[in-house]
Amino acid sequence: MAQATNRVESSVETAARTVRRVRDSLEDEEPEAVAVAGVVVASLLFALVGFLLVSSLTILPFAVFVISAGYGWVRHQELTAKVLALATTVSTILILLLITVFIIVEAVPVVRYESVTVFGVSIPGVRMFIQPNWDAVSPPIRFSMVPMIHGTVMVTIIATAVAAPLGVAAALFLSEIAPAPVREAVKPGVEILAGIPSIVYGFIGFTILSPWASDQFDILGQGTYLFVGIVVGLMALPTVVSVAEDALSSVPESMKSGSLAMGTTDWQTMISITLPAAFSGVSAAVLLGVGRAIGETMAATVMLRGVPKLTEPLYNAFYGQETLTSLIARNYGEADGLQLSALFMAGVILFITVMFLSIGSQYVEARMRSKLGGEQ
Amino acid sequence: MSTETDTRNPLVRDGAESTGLVAAGAVALAALLFALSLAALFQQLSLTDTLAGVPVSTFLGGALVVLGGAVVVFGVGSRLGYVETEPQASAGMVAGIAFGFVWFVAGGLVASQTIGVGTIGWLLSAIFVGGGVFAVSVVTREDIGSTLPAGVLTAFVGLVFVTGVIGPSWVWNLGWEQQASFTAGFTIPTLTLFSSLLSGWAAAKAYGGFGARGRHTGAYTLVYLNAVSIVGVLFILLAFTVYKGIGGVLNGFAVGAGVGPTSTVVLFGIAFSFDWPVYLPFVMNGVGLMNEFNGVLPAIVGTIWLVVGAVLFAVPLGVGAAIFLTEYAERGRFTQAVEVATNGLWSTPSIVFGLFGFAFLIPRFGNGKSLLAGMLTLGFMLLPLVVITSREAMLSVPDEYRDASAALGVTKWQTIRSVVLPAALPGVVTGIILGVGRIAGETAPILLTMAGGVFVPGSQTPDIVGGFAFTSSPPFVENPVLLDAASALPYQLYALITAGVGASGNVANPDEFKWATALVLLVVVLSFYAIGIAARYYFRRELNQ
Repeated sequence: MAQATNRVESSVETAARTVRRVRDSLEDEEPEAVAVAGVVVASLLFALVGFLLVSSLTILPFAVFVISAGYGWVRHQELTAKVLALATTVSTILILLLITVFIIVEAVPVVRYESVTVFGVSIPGVRMFIQPNWDAVSPPIRFSMVPMIHGTVMVTIIATAVAAPLGVAAALFLSEIAPAPVREAVKPGVEILAGIPSIVYGFIGFTILSPWASDQFDILGQGTYLFVGIVVGLMALPTVVSVAEDALSSVPESMKSGSLAMGTTDWQTMISITLPAAFSGVSAAVLLGVGRAIGETMAATVMLRGVPKLTEPLYNAFYGQETLTSLIARNYGEADGLQLSALFMAGVILFITVMFLSIGSQYVEARMRSKLGGEQ
Repeated sequence: MSTETDTRNPLVRDGAESTGLVAAGAVALAALLFALSLAALFQQLSLTDTLAGVPVSTFLGGALVVLGGAVVVFGVGSRLGYVETEPQASAGMVAGIAFGFVWFVAGGLVASQTIGVGTIGWLLSAIFVGGGVFAVSVVTREDIGSTLPAGVLTAFVGLVFVTGVIGPSWVWNLGWEQQASFTAGFTIPTLTLFSSLLSGWAAAKAYGGFGARGRHTGAYTLVYLNAVSIVGVLFILLAFTVYKGIGGVLNGFAVGAGVGPTSTVVLFGIAFSFDWPVYLPFVMNGVGLMNEFNGVLPAIVGTIWLVVGAVLFAVPLGVGAAIFLTEYAERGRFTQAVEVATNGLWSTPSIVFGLFGFAFLIPRFGNGKSLLAGMLTLGFMLLPLVVITSREAMLSVPDEYRDASAALGVTKWQTIRSVVLPAALPGVVTGIILGVGRIAGETAPILLTMAGGVFVPGSQTPDIVGGFAFTSSPPFVENPVLLDAASALPYQLYALITAGVGASGNVANPDEFKWATALVLLVVVLSFYAIGIAARYYFRRELNQ
């Protein structure tokens, strides 16, 4: 209790200190500059509110903002620049908040619809995860996420199995093994691999790989999780390579030369010194690669069948039905009402999963940096 | 010194050379088999063809037997002391587990499919075989432990092919509810590929004389192979797209004075028109009934405007935020939170940005898909990358620069403007160009916010500059072009793929049209990457001088 009060008091103190500091720094400025900055901030806020309320009058405060910012730039560049820089930072954060709020709000109706009553208590959203039927047309209308989550998991597992070992090996090659001229040639190659648009991968997969796979495995129709996973793994590969390479080359040279001075081979040094030291960075790379694989849309949309059902049996990777991403890309056109809301629900699942992966990989990376005690 | 040693021990030297030749020959044979199995996998080589007078599957089997035999002979020879090597006491846990697992699978498959025992039977035999091999490779000395399991398995696979147990017409129906089978066309090349890798690694290790040096050689072989394969895949992807698309792009290509379309440039009120000396209809035309050659001009122009809009939106915002975070804000909780948020935003799937644009932007821009909504959605995607790269570039500007400038008595903003920003510019520019390359090829976000048609007529080429007009009611400025749906290259390719076979518009050869679109998209996107990478090299060289 006393602790809580203390904490409140200290946070009030911090706030008061911040306000005091801002006031002090403002007192140093000319009053006119402060007034202009005030107009800039206020007009920008009004423009934002107008835009959020879908008002056609938004242009008015925006015009005031442009004029006052222009005036401030000419007369009081110092303060205006600072205020504008602050405004851009705030808008960057605001965009993230807006994305989170908007996709979650749009997903609310389907969460309400798919509630389940257990012992008289209604739990919203559960039915999307406990039964596998997706039917948007004929009653009972159900929007289960289970088949799509299954598809995403299948594709991600296969993609990771491709991207993680090959990517880490390629990163080892680039950072430790390759002579300089070879590295200079291979590294841009890996970057270009990242640059090939996903729809081009999808197109090649759709026209070449899918028919080939149907032929080779005697599958009815086209579309397999196996080959979508391989293609997506190829697309996630460059992410794994570049992040893992950064981690490997951030291992201090002194550690490696210390090992080499003991008379070990390069490979022994890599396995017993460099890789363990960079382990967290390399796993962050794999996590980021997994994130890319989960979010990959176009190749999956083009190559999969688009039937929101589970495969039979569950581990049958030779049939590819639908992933969370391809569900959205395929159905946004004709969807409305609850079905549209269900698509946003798929988006929410993707967003939250990838956010967790990203934060997890950043945490792992930060830990590695503090462990290696580099200057960063 | 070395010649002296050689003359003293001619016998040993000759012996070392010829045994080294066995290992090197095995590596070469493995490489040959690797290449052959790839060719067979991609149907460049049919399994029923004959190679050196025998069917391909028999040939592969025979070669595998020879390869496996060579590996085993080398290992046993080393154990018995005929070959001079430096093996360690054991092949190690990792190799043991890998071999054990491979043999576990092999034993299980043979027991359940060929012999046909029940679940318990195959499980027991798989565990027995896998465990046995694990024990052999861990307990015995390294020269036996790392060659015997690989060599025997390779020879066994080879025997299976030679005896025709798995022949060219072999099929294994998995018996699942959704039907799938392993056919010989897939199984034989894949097994060959796998066995050649396994034996190739063992042979490379043997060539290095086992021990630390042998492990080094074996591992390097695989790592080099991996790097070569990645570059090879890249090369094949690009070459294949060029090969399929170049015909469509070059349709009706002509060079010469006055063959191209007429362009008019207005400079200081003087209209000046000229004819292009080249005519490349695929990138200069739309699709039309009267066109001799159809093209994708509207989509190219749409892509360019998209990129311009996204850059105009994201770059000022992102660079401003980076300036605030690096120069004004104190490093602490706040900057850390923003960093985590921007990194998270950068890995957010593009389709989520599309959903956001769909829910947030479309109702605000006249309730229809529009070019402007597409620009802003891509701008949202680009923003985190601009923040991240600009921040990195600014952080790498040494503090001495800032201190020196501050010592001259100038204000903070002047320091930023005339010292920090110029020094950080190369990094910022390179980052932006690479980011633009990524968003230019994105399909998912514009799918939901911008759309467009399958075959777009030339009249729908967006003309933004000419579209501005003033109106008397708010918002006073309007530009119908910005609020119209427009096409972009990646979207058009997607639309072409999903439109199916029936929809052909006026295009005579839709297939060629698709590949040509893919090629143009690839060229547009990769030229951004090429410029970005070249810029980075250029700046780095400048800095190093």
